Amino acid sequence: MLEVKAIDTYRGSAHILNGVSLEVGSEEVVCLVGRNGAGKTTTIESIMGFLPVSGGDIVFNGESIARLPPHERARRGIGFSPEDCGVFPELSVDENLMIGRWLGEEIVRKRGELRRDPQDQAFAVFPEVRSLLARQGLHLSGGQRKMVAVARAMMLSPTLLLLDEAFEGLAPVVVNRFTEAVLKIKTLGVSILMAESHVAAAARIGDRLYAIDRGEIIFHGPPQAALSDERVVRALRG
Amino acid sequence: MEILIVQILNSIFQAASLFLLAAGLSLIYGVMRIVNLAHGNFYAFGAYVSAWTVGAAVALAASRGINLGVAGQLVLLPLGALAVAALGAIVEPTLLRPLYRRPEEYILLITFGLLMVLEDVIRLVFGGTPLTAGSIMDAMGSIPIGGLLYPAYNLVVVGVGVVAAIGLWLFVYRTRFGVILRATSQDRRMAAALGLNVGRVYIQAFAIGCFLAGLGGAVVVPAQAAVLGMGVDALVQAFVVIVIGGLGSLEGALVGALIVSAVRTAGVQFFAEIELAVLYLIAVAVLLWRPTGLFGRA
Repeated sequence: MLEVKAIDTYRGSAHILNGVSLEVGSEEVVCLVGRNGAGKTTTIESIMGFLPVSGGDIVFNGESIARLPPHERARRGIGFSPEDCGVFPELSVDENLMIGRWLGEEIVRKRGELRRDPQDQAFAVFPEVRSLLARQGLHLSGGQRKMVAVARAMMLSPTLLLLDEAFEGLAPVVVNRFTEAVLKIKTLGVSILMAESHVAAAARIGDRLYAIDRGEIIFHGPPQAALSDERVVRALRG
Repeated sequence: MEILIVQILNSIFQAASLFLLAAGLSLIYGVMRIVNLAHGNFYAFGAYVSAWTVGAAVALAASRGINLGVAGQLVLLPLGALAVAALGAIVEPTLLRPLYRRPEEYILLITFGLLMVLEDVIRLVFGGTPLTAGSIMDAMGSIPIGGLLYPAYNLVVVGVGVVAAIGLWLFVYRTRFGVILRATSQDRRMAAALGLNVGRVYIQAFAIGCFLAGLGGAVVVPAQAAVLGMGVDALVQAFVVIVIGGLGSLEGALVGALIVSAVRTAGVQFFAEIELAVLYLIAVAVLLWRPTGLFGRA
């Protein structure tokens, strides 16, 4: 579904990603773990199109998307929930979701999936969001913002969801709720690429795991193998 | 009493045009974070195009023995606003967009340059002679208010201002495109990640802002002539409006326009020598009390 092929990405003059390659298969949860500053967010933002890649390629469903602007990538079925959630603070939750739903309905129509309602999918993942519809983005708690961000991305009817630090800053009980949500999203036929600092949480839900350090992939394999890999443990401890 | 009513109407008449101008400036800033210094001459360009169109149409119709009538002339007035909107839709992607990744000073410089260029373009195209669409004012006549006569056209402008204020509010807060505009203004990266073509939204927002400036210019030409330099004067007043009301806020543009027009109208009557000084003192007081303006957000 998604193939990231040896991409190089710069932030200004700083060379952040150095030949990063990874793959996400159909209906698969893949975790990208690494400590802060390792290159996780840069990888996600390169896939979403916020940062230009200077080398390599990004292929989504057989099409090279490396030169497409972010809105075209979204239209091809890539949903995104950023680290800071990106909830529009002065819009109500309903308006936040509305924007995703407009495009989601268009995408569903184009795919000919007449029975698949983006709104039903989003609320199936986080039914709690229904009770927040009238509230302004500004007045949501950290956990609520994360839920709205994921529900909004699901409104797009994505086939691939990019989650950047979905568990960061959440209370342990809420982390469990998010773990359930990620597994639910998977059952809806959506692939997930998660950038995550907490390797234990990633190991619980990931089908496969990549570890990144200083802009290079240093491990690729089953999550349990990562926990016993010396290089991964050392890199995550810094 | 009649004098008070006429002065209030005069104040609202001025506020209507000033609101359109300031609302356009605020809309562009709110969505794109651009302080468009060329806005004053977009206003002037709208005034000139409308005055010229009405004048040319009336002359052409008269040469063929046709009377355009009030409605025929009023319908032509918004053409100036449409011309300015079209100009804005060309200026944003060609002159402004290449500079978005550079420091803000570049945008200020290019829009200031555009202000100067437009002044010369207006001089070149329309000449130095003032233009007016006074035929509309003459055709509409006056209505009695107590023992005084008041131009009927001014009431039309007041109506346009009220409709524009309500219409803009509904457009921004009750329509799909309004949600898109507000979302883009708050986080353009996230808007793009949700599939919105931010470049297209920017062209549309800039064109709408320019349309409002052009409409502000178009509605005044039946009452006041379009003259060289009117754009710079209007820009200065619009900045006072948004300093008071808050840059990026439509409510601020409305309240600011009402305050500025009320002070100017009262100033002409009671303190003509220091009218502008009073206006700027109010702006300074608001800046000291609320640096983001009455309705602005930090």
